[in-house]
Amino acid sequence: MNASSVPLLAVDGLRVEFGPAAAPAIAINDLHLTIERGETLVLVGESGSGKSLTALAITRLLPAAARITGGGVWLDGANLFTLPSAAMTKIRGRRIGFIFQEPQVALNPVMRIGDQIAEVMQRHLGLRGAELRTRVTDALRAVGIPEPERRAREYSHQYSGGMKQRAMIAIALAGEPDLLIADEPTTALDVTLQAQILDLLKAEQRRRGMGMLFITHDFGVAWQVADRVAVLKGGRLVETAPRGAFYRAPRDAYSRALFAALPKLERRASYERPLAAPALLEVENLRIEFPIRKGVFRRVVDRVRAVDDVSLAIAEGETLAVVGESGSGKTTMGRGILRLLPLAGGAVRFRGEDLAGLSEAALRRRRRHLQIVFQDSYAAMNPRMLVGDIVAEGMVAQDLGGSRAARAARVRELLEQVGLEPGHAARYPHEFSGGQRQRICIARALAVEPTLIVCDEPTSALDVSVQAQILDLLRDLQQRLGLSFLFITHNLGVVAQLAHRVAVMHRGRIVEQGTVEQVLFAPAHDYTRQLLAAVPKIGAEAT
Amino acid sequence: MSAYLIRRLLYALPILVGVNVITFLLFFVVNTPDDMARMQLGERHVTQEAIDKWKAERGYDRPLFWNGAASGFEQATDTLFIRSTVRLFTFDFGRSDGGRDIGGDLRQRMGPSLAIAVPVLLLQLVAALGWALVIAWLRGSRLDVASALVCVAMMSVSGLFYIIGGQYLVAKLWRLVPISGYDYGLASIKFLVLPVVIGMLIALGPNVRWYRTIFLEEMGREYVRMARAKGLSDARVLFVHVLRNALIPILTGVVVLLPSLFLGALITEAFFAIPGLGSYTIDALQAQDFAIVRTMVFLGSLLYIVGLLLTDLSYVVADPRVRLQ
Amino acid sequence: MIQGGLVVLASDACLFVLVASALAYWTIARRHEHLRAPWREVWARPAAAGAAVVLGFFIAIALVDSIHFSTRDEAQDDVVSLLDLALESLRTHPETSYSAPFATHAYSRETVRLPDGRVHREYPRLVSGGAHLVAPTERPADIARRAVLGLALGLASGALALLGAACVERRRHGGLAAACRAIVGGRTRRPWRSLLAVGCAIALLLGLGIALAPWYHVLGTDKVGTDVLYQALKSVRTGILIGSLTTFISLPFALALGVAAGYFRGPVDDAVQYLYTTLSSIPGVLLIAAAALLLDVHMSRHADTFDSLAARADLRLLALCGILGITSWTSLCRLLRAETLKLREVEYVAAAQALGVRSPAIIRRHLLPNVMHIVMITTVLDFSGLVLAEAALTYIDIGVDPSMESWGNMINAARLELAREPAVWWSLVAALVFMFVLVLAANVFADAVRDAFDPRLRRVGAESIATLAQETSHR
Repeated sequence: MNASSVPLLAVDGLRVEFGPAAAPAIAINDLHLTIERGETLVLVGESGSGKSLTALAITRLLPAAARITGGGVWLDGANLFTLPSAAMTKIRGRRIGFIFQEPQVALNPVMRIGDQIAEVMQRHLGLRGAELRTRVTDALRAVGIPEPERRAREYSHQYSGGMKQRAMIAIALAGEPDLLIADEPTTALDVTLQAQILDLLKAEQRRRGMGMLFITHDFGVAWQVADRVAVLKGGRLVETAPRGAFYRAPRDAYSRALFAALPKLERRASYERPLAAPALLEVENLRIEFPIRKGVFRRVVDRVRAVDDVSLAIAEGETLAVVGESGSGKTTMGRGILRLLPLAGGAVRFRGEDLAGLSEAALRRRRRHLQIVFQDSYAAMNPRMLVGDIVAEGMVAQDLGGSRAARAARVRELLEQVGLEPGHAARYPHEFSGGQRQRICIARALAVEPTLIVCDEPTSALDVSVQAQILDLLRDLQQRLGLSFLFITHNLGVVAQLAHRVAVMHRGRIVEQGTVEQVLFAPAHDYTRQLLAAVPKIGAEAT
Repeated sequence: MSAYLIRRLLYALPILVGVNVITFLLFFVVNTPDDMARMQLGERHVTQEAIDKWKAERGYDRPLFWNGAASGFEQATDTLFIRSTVRLFTFDFGRSDGGRDIGGDLRQRMGPSLAIAVPVLLLQLVAALGWALVIAWLRGSRLDVASALVCVAMMSVSGLFYIIGGQYLVAKLWRLVPISGYDYGLASIKFLVLPVVIGMLIALGPNVRWYRTIFLEEMGREYVRMARAKGLSDARVLFVHVLRNALIPILTGVVVLLPSLFLGALITEAFFAIPGLGSYTIDALQAQDFAIVRTMVFLGSLLYIVGLLLTDLSYVVADPRVRLQ
Repeated sequence: MIQGGLVVLASDACLFVLVASALAYWTIARRHEHLRAPWREVWARPAAAGAAVVLGFFIAIALVDSIHFSTRDEAQDDVVSLLDLALESLRTHPETSYSAPFATHAYSRETVRLPDGRVHREYPRLVSGGAHLVAPTERPADIARRAVLGLALGLASGALALLGAACVERRRHGGLAAACRAIVGGRTRRPWRSLLAVGCAIALLLGLGIALAPWYHVLGTDKVGTDVLYQALKSVRTGILIGSLTTFISLPFALALGVAAGYFRGPVDDAVQYLYTTLSSIPGVLLIAAAALLLDVHMSRHADTFDSLAARADLRLLALCGILGITSWTSLCRLLRAETLKLREVEYVAAAQALGVRSPAIIRRHLLPNVMHIVMITTVLDFSGLVLAEAALTYIDIGVDPSMESWGNMINAARLELAREPAVWWSLVAALVFMFVLVLAANVFADAVRDAFDPRLRRVGAESIATLAQETSHR
């Protein structure tokens, strides 16, 4: 028929700019894309590559500071950019459904979920009364929400994270759109939930024969949903290719570099842990609790065991990875070991001495041996301090490094050690990129010459290419300085790259512990198997 | 939810006690009853007997905190502090230093105060909300810039200017309404129009700016982008999604004002000679009547605390996230 | 005339401490990029730069008015300020009662006994207003002549300022003429155009004042014949003092208690919260009223301890600032507590704890610098509200001492006279206009400061490309 000759969506020479008209910053430059009915195009790129802006530009929802300065977007052959804005509202929701990254903030907090779906059907399908109610319930049921009649009357804060994303999908599908735009719909979710949401999206897309523009930074996710893959870099399209061809052999150098940097879940040959090293840190039956207060007097009626009876040991020069989903208690445990949180029970023995029983003053002197690197390197540094002062802070507090001049020299040396320049000491943290900031944080931890560093998801806020560099740095430091790491992460690929041993954490408990080979390639516990199964595997056919 | 409200209610008690202690310290300890008596009876030629008589009439002759003369339990209770506290908490305000029945005065003067304060509040809310909504809708336009200028100018003008200017123009030059005064019943309307309009104007500038900020903050949120991505009209996004979310901070900001309406607007009432509680307080200040001022401080705090409780309640009503916890 | 030496009133001392702290802040801010950047943003706004000039002018008047000397010129001892000396002709030549601006005759008729013994009611000539004129008919021409002279003076100094600015910008724009054109066209990096425009306006007004004020009562005289312009100028110091000193007095308490409550939590937090909830539950006006009443009683009982009228009025002013401070510190304290609660959970505080940094150092190094923007914003935002509050409070007799020059007192004294025919409007209008200009300048400046210092607003405003790109492309 006629429709088959024109693609469902055609983006032609799209250009988006920011800033003053005289000297604009170009966010998207000469972008060409097409999507056919029933086809999923995955737009992959690192942060700042312009992939979300592309989605917003297609629906003409760009923020006020950005503007479209060239090209066009055709939906079924009709140019969306020339439509009056009233007509555009009949396209959004009706012809194009939109799913945002964070359902937490994208759902209206004071409107019932059912009403948020109903207003789409009311506007675009003209449904009213009983029929509308039935259709709302059907829509919720279709995305897998149990008891849809009751759930339709609830507000978003009563939904769990996965259910919120399902509700958002129901809203996006409510107008029976021809094209679905999904902007990182699973990035805010854990792997097990991510797998479910991807399955749901794929199933709905096939059932309705929709076109889908799927945006992600994750090649594993892309493999699972894509028919074709488009790679974006700095606002320019680097390459577009069918999925199979792309994953067999990416043509562009940038795509290949990204590919190479991916931490893959595969066995390593030559990264063995030191043999028979003495135990450095032993954690025994550690418990961390948060009180639940209820009633008129806010009495403590119960306690949540965030960390429940956890025991583990780290040898000198060893990396122990702790993996688990968000809320599993792994971060709490990391902070508890450093006594940044009060402990409810158990022992933390460092070189045989129990830190849990030490006074504040005594603990302060031991702190130099145990350091921490956080996930969010931006929040981890005081924006009002110079990098040099940030790195030197621990030396001052611990009375290390001698004179002022000697400390300054040591700061310069540390900065070089983590791959920065000595001159960076005189700058402020915001002048650095995410990866560089994380290097500064590592330098700050190294300044007090620790023997163990707790790394709390240090790479999960970084792009893949940067992530690989930071992992290399950590490995290098370990070999040179004999450091031990307690490496907290949710990324099993990173574990395979870096760790000697792994502990799997679930609901505050460690469910399985062993060498990387045992846990990742011969898992004993059900939960570990579930976790491994949910990791998108490139090359394996999606179910 | 009910536990939350009960807890807030119980929390109010120690605060009220604290307020009472502060006012007691201010009115009886920093200045002794002897000072008050001298003030009332005339500074120069006053005998100790007259002072003692004045104190005895009002029960101010008891010791402040500890009555050594009394026996047993009464040593602690038969004191000025406990007695005056108990009387305030039972709403027995007694007589003013000038001899008037404070409770009766309050009942009589509440009406005129409310007759001004309630319309001011409602008009103000409607005008400021409407203005701010229009401006938020047309954000970045010339009208927005002009309105920002007008708001800053309105904020920078002293409230006294509105009152004096209004009285001069509307009442004196144009002779549309009486300059000041009050009457009861329907006849009060011609006296009320000017103070109400001026009362509304005084706070309009800052409120419009504040509401506009709230609206713009809400409009920058992700759920608004989501609502637009659903294809809803601009009007529906603004009036349903944005307004409903913005009303939570706005309403709770207004609710805290509700009880203070009883106290009236001191200056407006004084300028327009409205026999309300505001002018009552000013008269008492000028007559240096401690009993009335102390009563008004206590009542004012009590109403503020009631306002805080109502705010908590309004959160519970307006925000499902609080209601359903 | 000046017989005694320098007299330092308590409020003078406070004001100079305030200026010294502002200077200290300026030297510190110059050396720290995170403080300099927002200030640069403030100066980059033409409106804010213009407002700063106006504020600076008012502050200069207040400072000149805060250097006091003791005198012994008439019967009683009293103190005069440097401003009084500068305005000598205005201060020492009072009329007997009201007179309109530029009037040569009094506002009301007086009974005069003519040389022939008959009694006649007429508008008497003023003692000093237009006294140099032989015939009142010369007045328009005289005023015009002097005004032109004054304006010329103002214009000349304005042109001089432009030249000075052009000299500064000369190098960047290549030549004096080019720099002048750039300034007039508003193309300079520093907002010279708005600085000069406002400065020029002030210079013109000053020129007019210098040319006319010694010969006429430019803004008329009040009930007891005092020059209204003199009163309005003297009131500047009162307004500035109340606007700035109040926040300054309450700042240490708000800062210490708010940060302590947020950082230590637990019982400290409970105590601080209880304190500020209790204090803020007493309606501010009533607390001020009660305090004013008590102060009155106290002063009338210890009248002998005040050696001069000025000292008494001064103490009352400080007491007003103090009590206003008590009513206003609670909101700042609440903000600081909330911000500290948020900050102490931020990871750089956890990192400092992990490094073994002690609590006082954490508060000093990590918390205080990161809550100072709130202090800065509150200080400038509160200023205009406090200036306006003075007028309202003075009207209900709980503001500054009636003997002290203030806009509130001027309005209070003049408002009933509007009912007269013809209306006596000049005192009122003068006070309201002076107040309006100061408060408007303060509001415009405060807006710029808030926009520049509030990181939350900056995100909402989202002007920077980097933040926007980050926001829209998530991760």
